[in-house]
Amino acid sequence: MNKSVSNKAGIKKAVPKPFFLWKHFNKLRWLSLTIVFAMLVLIPFLHVYQTYVSAHTYDLLSASEKQIYNTMEWLSSPFVDDPEDQLDVLKGNTWSGTFGGVQLSDPLAVLGQLVSSQAFYWPFILTAVIPVILTVFFGRFYCGWICPATFLYELNSNLAVLLRKSGLHTGNKRFDHRLKYVVLAIGLAVAVITGSVAFAAIYPPAVIGREIYYAIALGGFGSGVVFFLLTLLFDLLVARRGFCRYLCPGGALYSLLGRFRLLRIKRIVESCNDCAKCTAVCEFGLDPLHDEFGQECNNCTACIAVCPTDAMTFYFSPQDIANQGAGHLGRKYKQKNSLFSQENKMAGEE
Amino acid sequence: MRRRNFLQWLVYSTSVVAAGALPFAINHLLAPAERLLARRHLRPPGALKDDAEFISACIGCGLCGEVCPPRCILFHQRDGGAQVNTPYINPEEKACTLCGKCTEVCPTDALMPVEREKVDMGVAQIDRSACYPWVDRSICGACVSICPLGEQAINFKQWNQYQPVIQDGCVGCGLCVEVCPHPSLPIRIVERSQGSVMRHTVS
Repeated sequence: MNKSVSNKAGIKKAVPKPFFLWKHFNKLRWLSLTIVFAMLVLIPFLHVYQTYVSAHTYDLLSASEKQIYNTMEWLSSPFVDDPEDQLDVLKGNTWSGTFGGVQLSDPLAVLGQLVSSQAFYWPFILTAVIPVILTVFFGRFYCGWICPATFLYELNSNLAVLLRKSGLHTGNKRFDHRLKYVVLAIGLAVAVITGSVAFAAIYPPAVIGREIYYAIALGGFGSGVVFFLLTLLFDLLVARRGFCRYLCPGGALYSLLGRFRLLRIKRIVESCNDCAKCTAVCEFGLDPLHDEFGQECNNCTACIAVCPTDAMTFYFSPQDIANQGAGHLGRKYKQKNSLFSQENKMAGEE
Repeated sequence: MRRRNFLQWLVYSTSVVAAGALPFAINHLLAPAERLLARRHLRPPGALKDDAEFISACIGCGLCGEVCPPRCILFHQRDGGAQVNTPYINPEEKACTLCGKCTEVCPTDALMPVEREKVDMGVAQIDRSACYPWVDRSICGACVSICPLGEQAINFKQWNQYQPVIQDGCVGCGLCVEVCPHPSLPIRIVERSQGSVMRHTVS
């Protein structure tokens, strides 16, 4: 009885249903992460193929090298006639790269280089303009949608779930998320003192991008991969997504840039039933159930995808809305408002 | 009581700074600085002349390596110290062909486009006590025939003898080092300031 009343009231209030496609954005995000990662693997192979082409040495290649040559030729021949030159349109990684003549760099690379070299080199600074503008609008979207390290870190936290199910102990400690701003500040100080771009060696996406290149084209991992494995262990044993949450200097910079982002996720309190799945699924330890997103949210849409009552949606606003209280479909709200349900109904009819 | 609060604050802030510095410290341990052999460590063409400036301008993106047609650009890894992830060329393994693609793709001012005659990676030196034609007038000329700059960089002492002589136009690309058939590499790239007489060491 009670349920039908509130349902009726809900329909009359015309609860804004979220655009249904948002629910599938998490899959789109995984697609995006996978494509970025696949490109990071493919580009070094294409470069190796280019070097074979420019050396005119097909007959001298070993069997496995011939296999690389043939595969890459098969992949690229529909798109390019002259692989030696034309494959140069797509080079680099997410730290810095050229994509069809447009050079893009990570804002952290620009900041770090600016501090270490203490000189303005405008062509380089301008390569970060597009990422900065996108971050101002979409917040920390890079972390959730593009970062090649996120791809591995999320798989790693899935592994942690499996380990926990099989009875092993995985860590879920919480620290102060402001620690990463300290890391950012220390990195800038180290860049000034040593005169090298200190972030390049500890920023996971930069590490991943170049280590894949080293492994494929130069025949061996460098020191970065050891560092990255340590961060994976940290995430697994100490804190879920700990590096991204508490230590990543790039995440810190993106959080600061995206503090007043326009695209945000909100909870539609009228259709929320307090199930708390959104809070459980959030990789960044935020609390969507209590409307706590803040500058850490990277718009990854995991909470939208997991919500059973479609109570999560995107909206445009420079700041989050205050705590809206218990969800209207939840037990807490109904107990509190059952006395007034008649009045509510009448108010709805008017 | 106040002192206790201060001590607590001190311990807390020290541990925060220590935690924040941890990634950099771990990375420093993973890539200690090592003494480098200058002749195996050439910066790519168009690099900033001062190496400290080069290190501070390079962001370690690896783009120069990814466009290099002969794949000669390598990167400092576990041997790097502050210069970890910066590019270098070891001409004894694979030498630069002076194509200039890396200078065009570099997003920073670490590598700047430069005419191939104006490149300054070093200068070649020949050890006349080891080079075949200099020792016993045998026939070689590999270094002269491979040189991308031709007569202005390296030439025979006399047209009918094969004894190579470095000219002023040498830019130090290292192709001659790569092709030299002598096992002890009597031709090597050194810094221009180091003069023209080679101190021969067998590696």
